[in-house]
Amino acid sequence: MAGMYRLRARRWTNVAAIYGFLLLLSIVFMGPFVFAFLSSLKDNPTEWPPSLLVNQLKPSNWAAAFNLAKQGGGNGFTGGFGPHGEIYFEATYWTAQGQEPAPPEVVVARRVQGGAALALRVEHYAADYTEVRDVHQVDQEPHEGGLLTTYGFTLVNTSDLHFDTVPMDLTVPMRQQFVSGTLTPNRIERLGRAQSWDNVSSGLFPYVLANYARVFRENYSVSTGKKLFGLWIRNSFFLAATRVLTTLIFASMAGYVLARLKFWGKGAIFGLLLFSMMVPQQVTFISNYLVLRDGIFGLSRLFGVPTLLNTYGGLIISGLVGASSVFIMKQFFERLPASLEESARIDGASTYTVFFRIMLPLAKPPLGALTILTFQGVWNEFFWPLVVITSPQDKYPLTLGLLTLQRTYGAASFDWGPILAGTFISALPVLILFVVFQQYFVEGISFSGNKE
Amino acid sequence: MKRIGLVLVMMLLAVSAASAQQVRIGGHGGTDTVILEEMIELFIRPALEGTGITVQYEPIADDFQRYIVNALSAGTAPDLFYLDSFWAGSVMRSGTVEPLNAYLEKSTVLRGEDIVRSLLDAFTIDGQIYGIPKDFNTLAVFYNKDLFDYAGVEYPSNDDNWDTFYEKLAAVAAIDPDIYGLALPPEYARFGALAHAAGFTPFDENGATDLFDPAFVDAFRWYTEMGLEGVGVMPADISQGWGGGALASEQVAAALEGAWILGSLRDEAPNMQYGATLLPKHPQTGQRGNIIYTVAWGMNANSPHKDAAFRVLELLTSEEVQQWILERGLAIPSRVALADNPYFTQDNVEAQSNYTVFLGASDGNVLPFSFGVYGGDWMQPIDQALSAVLSKQVGWEEALREAQTRLDAVMQR
Amino acid sequence: MRNLSLRRAGEKLAPYVLLAPFLFTLIIFFGYAFVRVVYFSFTNYDLFQQPQWVGLKNYVDIFRDMDFARAMKNSLTFMAVVTTAQTLFALLLALFLNQKVRGMKFFRAAYYMPSVASSVVVTLIFIWFFQRRGVLNFLISKFNEYRNVIVLFLFAAAVLQLLQVGWEKMRKRPVTLMEPAFLFLSLLVSFMLMFAGVRLGFIPTRDVAPADIIWFNTIKTWPSFLGPLSFSVPLGAIMMFNIWTTSPTFMLLYLAGLQDIPRELYEAAAMDGAERWHVFRYIIVPQLKPITFLVVTMGLIGTLQMFDQVAILGAQAPRQSIITLAYYIYTNIFPSSSSPRVGMASAAAIFLALLTFVIVAAQRKVLGSEGDGGHV
Repeated sequence: MAGMYRLRARRWTNVAAIYGFLLLLSIVFMGPFVFAFLSSLKDNPTEWPPSLLVNQLKPSNWAAAFNLAKQGGGNGFTGGFGPHGEIYFEATYWTAQGQEPAPPEVVVARRVQGGAALALRVEHYAADYTEVRDVHQVDQEPHEGGLLTTYGFTLVNTSDLHFDTVPMDLTVPMRQQFVSGTLTPNRIERLGRAQSWDNVSSGLFPYVLANYARVFRENYSVSTGKKLFGLWIRNSFFLAATRVLTTLIFASMAGYVLARLKFWGKGAIFGLLLFSMMVPQQVTFISNYLVLRDGIFGLSRLFGVPTLLNTYGGLIISGLVGASSVFIMKQFFERLPASLEESARIDGASTYTVFFRIMLPLAKPPLGALTILTFQGVWNEFFWPLVVITSPQDKYPLTLGLLTLQRTYGAASFDWGPILAGTFISALPVLILFVVFQQYFVEGISFSGNKE
Repeated sequence: MKRIGLVLVMMLLAVSAASAQQVRIGGHGGTDTVILEEMIELFIRPALEGTGITVQYEPIADDFQRYIVNALSAGTAPDLFYLDSFWAGSVMRSGTVEPLNAYLEKSTVLRGEDIVRSLLDAFTIDGQIYGIPKDFNTLAVFYNKDLFDYAGVEYPSNDDNWDTFYEKLAAVAAIDPDIYGLALPPEYARFGALAHAAGFTPFDENGATDLFDPAFVDAFRWYTEMGLEGVGVMPADISQGWGGGALASEQVAAALEGAWILGSLRDEAPNMQYGATLLPKHPQTGQRGNIIYTVAWGMNANSPHKDAAFRVLELLTSEEVQQWILERGLAIPSRVALADNPYFTQDNVEAQSNYTVFLGASDGNVLPFSFGVYGGDWMQPIDQALSAVLSKQVGWEEALREAQTRLDAVMQR
Repeated sequence: MRNLSLRRAGEKLAPYVLLAPFLFTLIIFFGYAFVRVVYFSFTNYDLFQQPQWVGLKNYVDIFRDMDFARAMKNSLTFMAVVTTAQTLFALLLALFLNQKVRGMKFFRAAYYMPSVASSVVVTLIFIWFFQRRGVLNFLISKFNEYRNVIVLFLFAAAVLQLLQVGWEKMRKRPVTLMEPAFLFLSLLVSFMLMFAGVRLGFIPTRDVAPADIIWFNTIKTWPSFLGPLSFSVPLGAIMMFNIWTTSPTFMLLYLAGLQDIPRELYEAAAMDGAERWHVFRYIIVPQLKPITFLVVTMGLIGTLQMFDQVAILGAQAPRQSIITLAYYIYTNIFPSSSSPRVGMASAAAIFLALLTFVIVAAQRKVLGSEGDGGHV
């Protein structure tokens, strides 16, 4: 009896040990993603020490963001500072013994996040129509050898206009320390003298997802006025869809021919195919780049296109079908029994009929895997688009867009918030695809792995 | 109905434009697009009325140099385009950029003498002028007033030399271990100005570079020791990408940057109280040094209508256009005649900063940011030496020896 | 009659018609491209002037170029370290995940996550992770701070384990030293002891300065005892996260392979009373040989092409520390502010292709000669 019990207990601890280890590995593989995701919500994802306490995830700030926008006459969820809205705000400071606490100087700032390019489009600034009223002392109490003083004030929209953002700065004399405010400030400047908010009427969602909103709002093309990030997503989808389509059709055609038909030159073509799978892309890109630059020996000029650089045509034509996709299809067709085809042949069916009517319908499993693999491949492709597409930015696929984000925000100021946010948005479609079509990913890998 | 009419008019215009001479202009994307389009609307189109010349701006968002090299080699380049002194060297030698001397001689409104000499030199090879500078930038000391106030030190001024400047910065750096005096990017693009002040020139009369030139060593050691003593810091070490970011983060009291810093300070440190002053003088030579960054308009040698293109070029670099750009605080004019400008006497920090940058071009040992055919490859070994010494990986002598070897390899290629 | 001959001609042409799109890409974008690059490698082409034959000059030039030497060294080190590490790691992961417990699907998916995301996404996250004031340095700081505690924790766990095993042994029960059930208990109890100890202040933590490892902007090399064979720290960082992203893919391949091993083999081994290690050495490893061959080949080809990470890192790390052959080719075609050096780039490209062949052929020889591990 005791032995049974021991055995069971042992099995349980065994299982627990396995799960413990599995969880540990999950931290290794998922941890960086989770940490990066939480940080993508922060004002400053590179703060030191890094912490998982994100201001944007504090319920008190949620309530404050909601209420402030509501007071301002906007929607509590989406924010805004409506006509004649009023926002009441409080801030608390600590002063050491002997220093007279002073009320903060409140300024609604005339600034736009995202640089000069965006500022050129702003017609009205909240700063020009907002009045700061009634800065007064609300409360005062002794605290840790000094005084805690709370001030309150009201921002009033004196116009009939609606503002999306109301940036605000509070400035106090040197050595007067900021303790807390209705909403946690986005940053503290001037050695603690200035507390700065990006938007006091942001509302709940724009407050929590501020960096995500910035990615969409701040990246726009000056020449066309279009929002870039949405375009990049669309471009990537378009390119992926086209490539999936051409790959499915052409790879199965070529795979079938190479697997099941006899014709002159077959050996040479298959040899070249295998050879091409070994040669790194960086070898052939030199010529391919020039071929596209000259519009495939000038052929594209017939269609009035002098060069295929910076065109999707170039990307699509150069990537109609990849050698490895053909290889996968060939492997599949080779494994089908010969009898399938023979009976149709005897009935006098042409090659085309055999292929489209009999063989292709059988190829659903590898085509499914190929779809996923190709989609993932195009979505993540970096090197070739980097070479072919340089401008305008409207034409970038998402991977190049991310590089642009890194150059805009990362190179100049290490403003990692929008970079991480953009990263997660761009990873999302593939992650969803992966979760939904998990088995295809696995199959795809084993398909490409099935070398005879 | 109205809309259809508009479309018809536009189509007609398109047809007539095709028959007329269309001058294509290639430049940077971003804010340049807005500026150029507004400028074309306000100044260029009205002036070209009735000449049959039309103008089209083609912005290139990223990697302009790569675009123009390709476009010139493939024959699809625009008629007029930006030429940055930094990479112009090899492009001007490729034979695809039109020399402008003949046009300048004929012109009544644009002559070589109208443009600041040192700027024009950056685009002249063997007497041939390949580009007309449109604007320029130089380096100045941008400093955070709060930090100097906090430390109780006087602001940097035009009277400072390296020693007094260093003392002031050291006093600010003493406030707190997390606060530094000067941002020290490991880049020749900043450090070079100091080397110039000490009397260094990138190429001697034989075209060779000697990094053990006493002037270079002097500047190199001053710059790197500041970092080793904790008076200065590399921006990357405080999680910033460049001097402007470091200044905006309030962890450094000063940075050596050009007028391009103004826009980013506006965005990233809107509450900062800052000022600008000329770079400090070298204590022995008594000279300042500086680097000029300039962009010119170049003309495509294969352009189908070069005369029309030059006509547009004249307008793009005219006095009224440059005055307009200056007044918007966007760039500093390249025309000699615009030096005494009421804009520069305005009492706001941005105008004053622009003026300081303007003065920097003609004070002391000033050289263009351009390294012949070697381009950026020339700076790289020096940048790496600066980085290695500033991050305490090697001593200055070893670093310079390594840099010299690498530099020699680059120049032999 | 005529119809028939037309039909026959159509049948004759059919393979070519169906192949046409693929042939087009294969010939233009691979065959022609390859031949042309070979040609370019013997000329001084710079995009502007017509190419002129210069013989072997480019090949001589690249071998004189310090950047090329660095690129080659970086590429080869990267290849050797990453291929080895990711293969071993993938195999271990697969062995571990080849169990039947509930929720295994979820864990497999979770581990596969880094492989699904694009190299740009992963690289960006890692640049952020490896900042000088970033998460990794923070974790290292924490590790330093708690080093005493961690050592003590391991020590206590070992003592507890020995006590339990000793107790069982005394009662003559068959147990091994690493009995998982006991191990779990030992670790748990030890952890609780440490937690309480630190909380109550019995165990002091060390007061250390935050870790200040510069991961990117440095020319330092590591490990120092390897001398000239050591690799630069930024490259090491890239290696670390490259292994992290690619192992899961190969793990899946190994998992598929493990599931294909016939049950009888294990059973026969169990009958013979074979030890775990022997099962691994004499059954699993030989059975997985075709997979290993595939994993290593894909690993070698993939690592030799490494480009994205270097390009995205760009100026954040010194060029010499991270430059690879692929990046070397790219920067010669699009150099910063000087004319394109197509000839040199082509020579380097041809060299990279040859290197790939030689290395793949060599590994075929090495892995293939050891017994009859599959017929690849």
